[in-house]
Order: sequence, then structure tokens, then C-alpha cells
Amino acid sequence: MSGVFSDLIAYLADPNSWTGQDGIIARLSEHIGLSVLAVVLAVILALPPAMVLAHRRKGSVLAVGLVNVGRAVPTFGVIALALPLCLALGLGLGFWPTLIAMVVLAMPPIFTNTYTAVRQVDPAVVEAAEGMGFTGRQVMTGTELPLGMPVIWTAIRIASVQVVATATLGAIVGWGGLGRYVVDGFAQGNDVLVLLGGLLVALLAVATDLGFSATERLVLPPGATHRDRGELATAIGHG
Amino acid sequence: MIDWAWIGSHLGEIAARTGEHVLLTVIALVVGFALSMLLAWLAWARPRSYGPITWTAGILYTIPSIALFALLVPFTGLSLLTAEIGLVSYTLLILIRNIVTGLQGTPPSVVEAGLGMGFSDREVLWRLRLPLAVPVVISGLRVAAVTTIGLVTVTALIGRGGLGVFILRGLQRAFTTEILVGTVVTVALALLVDSAFVLAERRLAPWVDRATVR
Amino acid sequence: MTEGAPGHSSTAIRLEDVCKTYPGSAHPAVESLSLEIRAGEVMVLVGPSGCGKTTTLKMINRIIEPTSGRIWIEGTDALTTPPHVLRRGIGYVIQQVGLFPHRTVGENIATVPELLGWEEGAVKRRVAELAKLVGLDPELLGRYPAQLSGGQQQRVGVARALAADPPVLLMDEPFAAVDPIVRQRLQEELVSLQRRLRKTIVFVTHDLDEAILLADRMAVLNLGGKIEQLGTPAEILANPATPFVESFLGRERGLRRLSLLTVEEIDLEKGPVVGPGDGPSAAGQAMDRYGTDWVVVVEDGRLLGWKWGADLADEPHGFRASVAPSDTLRRALDVILTSHTQVAVVEEGGRYLGIIDAAAIGRALAG
Repeated sequence: MSGVFSDLIAYLADPNSWTGQDGIIARLSEHIGLSVLAVVLAVILALPPAMVLAHRRKGSVLAVGLVNVGRAVPTFGVIALALPLCLALGLGLGFWPTLIAMVVLAMPPIFTNTYTAVRQVDPAVVEAAEGMGFTGRQVMTGTELPLGMPVIWTAIRIASVQVVATATLGAIVGWGGLGRYVVDGFAQGNDVLVLLGGLLVALLAVATDLGFSATERLVLPPGATHRDRGELATAIGHG
Repeated sequence: MIDWAWIGSHLGEIAARTGEHVLLTVIALVVGFALSMLLAWLAWARPRSYGPITWTAGILYTIPSIALFALLVPFTGLSLLTAEIGLVSYTLLILIRNIVTGLQGTPPSVVEAGLGMGFSDREVLWRLRLPLAVPVVISGLRVAAVTTIGLVTVTALIGRGGLGVFILRGLQRAFTTEILVGTVVTVALALLVDSAFVLAERRLAPWVDRATVR
Repeated sequence: MTEGAPGHSSTAIRLEDVCKTYPGSAHPAVESLSLEIRAGEVMVLVGPSGCGKTTTLKMINRIIEPTSGRIWIEGTDALTTPPHVLRRGIGYVIQQVGLFPHRTVGENIATVPELLGWEEGAVKRRVAELAKLVGLDPELLGRYPAQLSGGQQQRVGVARALAADPPVLLMDEPFAAVDPIVRQRLQEELVSLQRRLRKTIVFVTHDLDEAILLADRMAVLNLGGKIEQLGTPAEILANPATPFVESFLGRERGLRRLSLLTVEEIDLEKGPVVGPGDGPSAAGQAMDRYGTDWVVVVEDGRLLGWKWGADLADEPHGFRASVAPSDTLRRALDVILTSHTQVAVVEEGGRYLGIIDAAAIGRALAG
């Protein structure tokens, strides 16, 4: 067993492992790039509708149900379905099916947690803002969004970690990223590659989590209360 | 687009794979729950251990499923054990957390009233804390069950059964209908199980006020 | 009986030099408190926030363990009995009630009897009996606590505490969390309940009026559990022992005392009484004696009404300012002050007993 680990260290020590199309740097950048893009898209698509619905106090059934349904849909299935879809649309395999699947994975928890966060903003504060003459949109962006930020930011954080981890599945439909090591290694019986892939993804996921932690202070308004993040972790399915 | 004929002729296999899928899920949940109860009890008895326990469970949860399965294969082969080790690992974080939260969530006035009436500490645990933790624990089991059902599809990649087989085969043969069957039946199964847990919670915890939006 | 047990046979609870200091704290929460509580009395511990009254109460059933001192309950040494055994013989009612959410109201009430192993039929009967006793609609027994109002929940709390018929009841600000109207009803019901049951009750409150209403005796506590004065409410109100007690009692001490005295306890004036057929001279004499320009018309001891001295031929008018002998002096004062004549007539069942004015009440307070 120790043989695998010493082989891994040897692999990492070899500069060739890092460069080139299949090098660690390339795969890592690919992986990060797609993950970031997926989360950004998910936020763009899910956050505004969630905010508007919550502000208007409608659609609570949808919000609650969405996370349940989202969790019920296997990401493996989504990626697999995205492939023929992308082929039919001429988008090819690899990148696009993976991206689409990751966006689908990330949207439900971001939607639901944004909805909950805005819904739970103290109604007295909203009423005060409206009373002062703010328009609906100003209330949303100026009051509800900042006050809901702790929960929303935590949801984005957890979604990001999940996307980073699950993007490894993309290798099954021909994408690269760190999943390439896992899938190729598995196919070749090369345990070093599998271990490399798995460890790198785990490290990247932890780094993502810590990165969010560090930048939290910049994003959260002072004085907003910090909710229990533990509950949110369960909001996201695992692919 | 959808090849209904194929579906019609494969109903038997669909049923069989669904059965396999359910079996894999049930084993994972039972083992995961037992292990989580043990670890949660440990965290309850020795609060210092809660941090390390959840940290480890959290790390396991973060490792992507295919990576975890792939890592286990060299050691435990393409076996049921490999699949179950992976599946169980993913249930631990949510279940342990929920059980501990449930135990800690007993309202202090209820505990004080119980003690004041003459409950021993053990009676407080068994008559008050545990029963009152049931809703939270069931909620955790519900999430764990649905998550596991999704994960079982991935075990097809390491040679296990379940509905993931359709997804994999459909991919390999570029046969969309098969992928759809695998995905849709998984979703249906997950939603069914989800509803079952909702009903179970209502039966086992009739006192919970459900009017408030959670 | 264990050694050192109190000799006075009617002492239900005895605290001797009881202290409680929390670890890391410079000052004791309760310092050397000694108190004897008599069987069947309501002892109210009253004082400002932080004076140690709740801590003292909770040491009796060892929810809080004393740092030192001795406690006897009904002759048994409370500190050597296993706590949970001790508590099964003591009823405990707290402010937040602490009803078990996962059990129905009936099951909540049945808790201690079941714990003690009562037979099922006996438990059921007892629960029904208690529901009636505390004024709880039997229909509520099958409901869960979350479905009840605050007042109803507190009634369940009391019923639950009384279920196994403990001789002692500890109550920690039980009515503080309900609204004032409900609180008043609960207080009145407790008074009438106690009249029937005669339990030994130790009651903690920061509300002086509640203490005066409920207490047979009360202990005014200062910081550190120091007993500034111990006595009946009337004694304390009439003669506050220390400046602390005086300031705690506040400015309306006199009025508060009035609510503890009744009309029948003071000497009544006869008043300007005439018969129905009496003429101006009799009326004039009566009015001169009492300095009024009206007379009270009484026939064979029965009150007929009043008449102006100048209009004796008129029919008697009915009295509006009227009180009964059992009314408190506080009520009587209210009636007097709001009447035209600043005088109230005292009657019972139509029988005339006399008149009462503000001066008479003042004399009662001073005496």
C-alpha cells in the first residue's frame, strides 16, 4: 500500500507531470475554470427570480420543493442526458454537458436558500424601507439582499464546493479536469493517477471552502447575524 | 425520440434494477444510521470528539463519489463492499449532525421540568431527549436516503447494479432512451422515498407544528 | 426521623444556613439562609432581581445543589436522599411550564403517577380529577401542549405538579409569562385551590401585589438571599423592619394595606337614621349629630333608602354607594371617593349595618 503513496510522490516530483495538456496545472485550471463559470451562471439564473418571488411573498411551495427535487435528480443522469442534447445542438461532448449538469446541480440550493433568506428578513425592516419611499427594486437590492447575504453567501459557498467535487464526473462524457485522472487511472489500472485525481479534487474543494471563508468579511454587511451553516450543507445533493 | 418499444420490452430488467437499487440504498442507510448513532452518542458523551468526528465525515463527504469508489477498488475490488463503504461514508455527515442537533435541541425548560418531577438523567435522555429528537433525525434520514439513491447510480461505474446501469449503457451506446429510463426512474424512486419519509415523520411525531414554513 | 430534624411538628420545610456560591463567582448567590416553612402555609419569597429567591427555591428540590447548609423536607434530610427520589414527592411549577411537547396534555399530567407505578385505572381517574380541579376542559386532555393557550398550559403545569398529591409545591414565578387578565384569574384560582388542598407552597415572585395576595407569610429578600423581614403581609406592610423593606414596598404601602383589611373589621358609625314615619325634629337631630343634610331610612333593621332632610315627604331613594362587610377597605375607599356624599352605607342582604367614611378608614390604618 505504501507503494502507491511513494509512487504518487515520485509522480508529483516529476516536472513533466505538471506541464502539458494532461499536466496537473492544465487540468487544475480547467477544473477551476468550469466550476467558477458554472457557479456564476447558477447565481445569475437562480438568484434574481428567487429574490423577486420572496419579496412578493409568493412561491414558497416551489422553493421548498425545488431542493427536494434537485436532490432527487442524479447528477450522473443529468450529465449523461446532457451529452446527446449537446451533440444534437452541435456543442460537442466534454465541456458543455459538464457545464450544463453543474449549473443544474447548483441552481436549486441557491434558489431555495436565497428565497428563504429574503423571506426571513425582518418584515419590520422592509416595511420601514418601503415607508421611506424606496421602490420595490431598491428594497430588494438595498435591504433584503444585504440582510439575506449571510445565508445566500453560505449557499453559494456550499454549492461551489459541491460543483468542484462533482465536476469530476465530467470525465465520463469526455471532459478533462481532475476527473480525467480518476477515470483514466481507473481504466488503466493506474492507482497513482486515481489517487492523484481524488486527492487534488478534495484539496481543491477544501481550498474553495476556505477561500470563501476568508472573503466572507468583505461580502457580508457588518451587523448581519450569522446563521447556522450546518443546516445548509444538507440542502445540496451529491452526484 | 423515446423508444417506447424498448421500454416495453425491458420492463422486467427495469424492475430488477430498481430492486437492486433499493437494496443497495437500504443497506447503506441501515449501516450508516447505526454507525452515525454510535458516533453521535460518542460525541454526546465526549463533546470534544464532536469536532474531529464531523471534520472527518465532512472530508469524506467532499471527496467526489467516483474518486472515492475508484480509490477503494484496488483494495476492496469491484465488490458490493466497495460500493457500500462509499455510500455509507456519504450518509455519515448529515446523520451524525442531525442526531446531535436533535439531542441538543431539547428545550431547557422541558429538561428542567423533567428533572423537577423526578426523572433521573437517564430517564431524561430516553424519555425526553431521544423522542423529541425524532423529527430531526427523520429529516436527516430523509435527506440521506434521497442523496444515497442518487449516488447509487454512480456505483454502476464500478460494476455494481442499480438503475445507473441504464445510464452507463445508454451513454456507451449513445441510446438516449436508456439514459432517460435510468434517470427518470431514479428520480421517481427518490421522490417516492422522500414522500414516505414525510409521512413517517407525521406518524411518528404527531406533535410537531407544521403550519410554520421551515 | 433523622437526627437534627426539626422539633416543631408542623414545620414542613426547614433550611439551615444554606449557602450557594457559583464557581468563579466572588459573591455568594445565597449566603447562610435559614428559614422554616410551616405545613399548609403559602410562603412567598419576594425581592428584587438577583436577590437569590429563585436559587433558594431550586435548592429545596436540589435542581441547584447547595454549596453548604442543611435542608429538611417533611422530616427527611433532603441532601442525603437521591435527588430524583426526593423530587417525586415535590410538585414543581416553573415559569416556562416545560410541558413535554411530544405527549398529550393527559399524558403530561399522568407523568409522576406513572413514574411511581400507579395502576392504569387509578392514573386515569386522577388525571380527570385534576383537570376538573384546575379548571381544564376535559376535551383538552387529548391535545398536544402546542395547541393550548398560555393560561391553559400553565393550568396543565399545575395539574401535573399536583398529580401524585405531593405535600409540598414549589412554584417559580409561574404566572409571570401570561398576560395580566389571565394572571389574575390564575392567582385567584390558586387561592381557592389552596383553601381546599392546604398544601405547603413555596412561591417565588418579584411582584409585590402577587405576594400580598397569595402569601400566608412572606419573606422579603435582599441580595445574597438575606432575609430582611419575615412575617404576614399585613405585619410587613404595617411595620417595615428596615429601610430596604420600606423602599421595596414602595409608596403605596397604605393603599396596599387597605386591600388586606375588610369593612367588618372596623367600627362602623350608626349614621343619621330615622324611621319611615319620622318627622322633621327627629330628622333634624340625626342630621345635626352626623353633620349631614340627608337621612337614612331604616325600618326594623331593613334599609329602605335615603331622603333629603328638606324633602321628608318624598319616597326614599336607593343608595348607590353601598358596600358589604366582606369588601376590602380598598374597595370601600373607592366607593366612598366616587360617591356624592363621600359616605358609603354598609348593608348585607338588605339589613342595614352602618355607614363608613374616609376618616373611619384612616383611623383603621393608624390603629
